[in-house]
Amino acid sequence: MKLDLANPAWRAALPPSRSVAADAPASACAFSRDGATVAFALGDGRVRLLPADINAAETPAGEPVHRGAVLAMTADPTGDGFVSGGDDGRLLRLGSDGTMSELAHQKGKWIEHIAIHRASGAIAAVAGKNALVVKDGQTSEFGPHQSTVADLDFSKDGSRVACAHYGGVTVWSVGNVTLPPRRFAWAGSHVALKWSTDGKFIATGTQENDIHVWRIAQSTDMRMQGYPAKVRSLSWSADARWLFTSSQPVFTAWSFAGKGPEGKPPVQFGEEGASLITVVAAHPTAEFVAGGYESGELQLGDIKTRRSVVLKLADGSAITCLTWSTDGFRLAAGNDRGDLLVVDLRR
Amino acid sequence: MAMSPSQVPVTVLTGYLGAGKTTLLNRILSEQHGKKYAVIVNEFGELGVDNDLVVNADEEVFEMNNGCICCTVRGDLIRIIEGLMKRKDKFDGILVETTGLADPGPVAQTFFTDDDVKARTRLDAIITVVDAKHFLGQLEQGDEAQEQVAFADVILLNKTDLVSADELKKVEGRIKAINPYARIHKTEKSKIELEAILDKGAFDLKRILEFEPDFLEHGHDHDHEEEVKSLSLTADRPVDPDKFQKWMGALLQIKGPDIFRSKGILAIDGAPRRYVYQGVHMMMDADWGQPWKDGETRSSKLVFIGRNLDGENLKRGFQDCLK
Repeated sequence: MKLDLANPAWRAALPPSRSVAADAPASACAFSRDGATVAFALGDGRVRLLPADINAAETPAGEPVHRGAVLAMTADPTGDGFVSGGDDGRLLRLGSDGTMSELAHQKGKWIEHIAIHRASGAIAAVAGKNALVVKDGQTSEFGPHQSTVADLDFSKDGSRVACAHYGGVTVWSVGNVTLPPRRFAWAGSHVALKWSTDGKFIATGTQENDIHVWRIAQSTDMRMQGYPAKVRSLSWSADARWLFTSSQPVFTAWSFAGKGPEGKPPVQFGEEGASLITVVAAHPTAEFVAGGYESGELQLGDIKTRRSVVLKLADGSAITCLTWSTDGFRLAAGNDRGDLLVVDLRR
Repeated sequence: MAMSPSQVPVTVLTGYLGAGKTTLLNRILSEQHGKKYAVIVNEFGELGVDNDLVVNADEEVFEMNNGCICCTVRGDLIRIIEGLMKRKDKFDGILVETTGLADPGPVAQTFFTDDDVKARTRLDAIITVVDAKHFLGQLEQGDEAQEQVAFADVILLNKTDLVSADELKKVEGRIKAINPYARIHKTEKSKIELEAILDKGAFDLKRILEFEPDFLEHGHDHDHEEEVKSLSLTADRPVDPDKFQKWMGALLQIKGPDIFRSKGILAIDGAPRRYVYQGVHMMMDADWGQPWKDGETRSSKLVFIGRNLDGENLKRGFQDCLK
C-alpha cells in the first residue's frame, strides 16, 4: 500500500472521511501511540476521542477534563492515551482506560504547549517562564527564561529540550548528563519552534513574520523572510531534507539537503488556495505534506513530484490543528468552529 | 482599526498603585450586568473574585525586531488574546489591567501592530484611575502618573470623598492641563455605571466626529507649567494631502516617542469626506470619515498630547501643509 497522488481517484472524489461537530474550537489533535484512537483538544475543556477507523462506531463525547479550554495535547509516549494541558494550569495524563492523573498543576499559568519524545517516554510542557519535563515519574523544571516560553521541542535523541522565548532559544540538557544551558540569541520574540528530525537544526517563527534557523553544531544561523503573516506552524520532513512552513498560499519548503537553503528560494508547489496555510504537517515517513488553510481547505502534497490534491473543500472555518497517524495513512484535522475530521487516505 | 462585529472590545485600565483599579475590576467581575468580561491582571490573588475569566500575566514588553526602537508591544497580551479565542465561551469584552508604574504605550501599540490581535479584537479605550488624594504627590515622584493621564480616553477621578472641594478642583485642574480631551468621571470607591466606561469606541475612526477640549472655566492652575500637555491646531484652509503626509511622517519619526496620543480631522483639498486619523506614538491609523455637508465650514483640527511639545514649530509645520 502506498500513497500515489498520480492516481486519478484523488481527483474523481474527495477521500472517505468522518466529520463530527464538537461545537467548540479545536486547539490540537493527536493519534494514540497504538494508532487506534484519535483525540481532539477542545475549547470547552473536553478531549474528544474518536476511533481512528472511520467506519467504526463513534464513541460518545466525555466530560470536560480541564476548566476553561484545553490548549495543548499530544499522544502519551508511555501508553495508548493522551497528555493534555489547559487554561487551568494542569498537565494531565489521560489513560486509554479512562483513568486520569495529574502530572503537574501550576495555578494561574496556562499549559499552552506540550512536546513528547517517543523513545524515552519524556513529556515537556510550558508553564509560564519555565519548561517542565516529566520523565520516569520525575518532574524537573527548567528556567526561568527571559519571557514566557512560546514553544518547545525535544532533540532527536531526547537528551535536550529547546525553548523559544523573547530574545532567542535556550537549549537545556534534560538527560542524565547535566550540561549548562546553551543560548541561541536572535533579537525579538520567537513564537513557534521545531527541532529538525535529524537533530541538527532548530527552526523558529518570529513575531516579525520571519523564520530563523540555527545550525546547532556550528552555532551559525539564517533568516528567511517574505512571509505575510507570522509562521506559527513548522514541520520537518522525516528525512530532515525539508522544512515545511505555514503562512503562504501554497506549500512552501526550504531545502536542507546538501549545503542548505542559503541563497536559494524555497520550493513552492500546490494549488494556490484563496487564503494562507495555517497548519502544515509533514508525513511521518515519506515525502508528503498536509496543509490546512485559513479558508478550511485541506490539501495533500508530494514534494518529490510537486503534485497536490484537495482532501477537503474550503468552508470558511480555519484549520487549527492537523496531524498524521504513525502509519501515515490517516489524517486528523480540526477547525475553529469545532468540526473534527478524520481522513482515510488508503485508495 | 476597522470594526467587525466579531472583534472583541478591549479596555485598558491604568492608574497608580492604590488608585482603585482592583476595586473597579472586582465590581466588574461581581456585579450582575449580564455581560461577560475576561480580565487580564498582573497580580494574581489581589482580586477577591475566584473566576476562570481572570487571567494572570507578567507584563512582557517586547521590542519589535524591525529597526524601530520605540515600536514595543506586549508579548503576553498577544499570547493571551490568542489563547482566549480558543475558548468555547466568547466574551463581551476584555479588560487589561496594567501595573501602577506601567507605560500604557506598548499595550496600545500592540493593537496597531499585531495582525492576529487586530483580527480578533479592537482597542476600545484607555481608562485611567486617578487617586484624588495622592495624585499631586505622585506627579512629583516620576513620569508615570502624568503619562497615564496623558494616554487616557476616560478618567476615573476616584476617592473624591477623601479630599475637600478645593483640593478636588485643584486635582481636576492639573488633569485637564495635561489632557483636556479625556472624559472625567468623579467617583468614590470606583463606583460607576459600566456603560460610562466600557464600549466607548475611543479608537474607532468612525466615531471620531468631534473632539473638544474640556478646559476649566475657572481655577485653571497656571502655577505649574506641565511637562506633559496637549496642543491643538486648527485651519480653515484645505490641507494638501502630500505635504501633510510628509510632515506628519517626519514628525512622528523624530518626535514619536514624545507624542503619546494624536488625533485629527482634516479637510483635504478637493475631497468630499473628512479624513480622520489617530495615533499612539509612531503608529497611526487613518481613514475617510463622514462627508462634508453642503455649505458646512470645512475646517481641520489636530490634537497632540505629549511631552516637550514645541507649539510654535508644530503650528508652522501644519501651516505649511495648507493650500
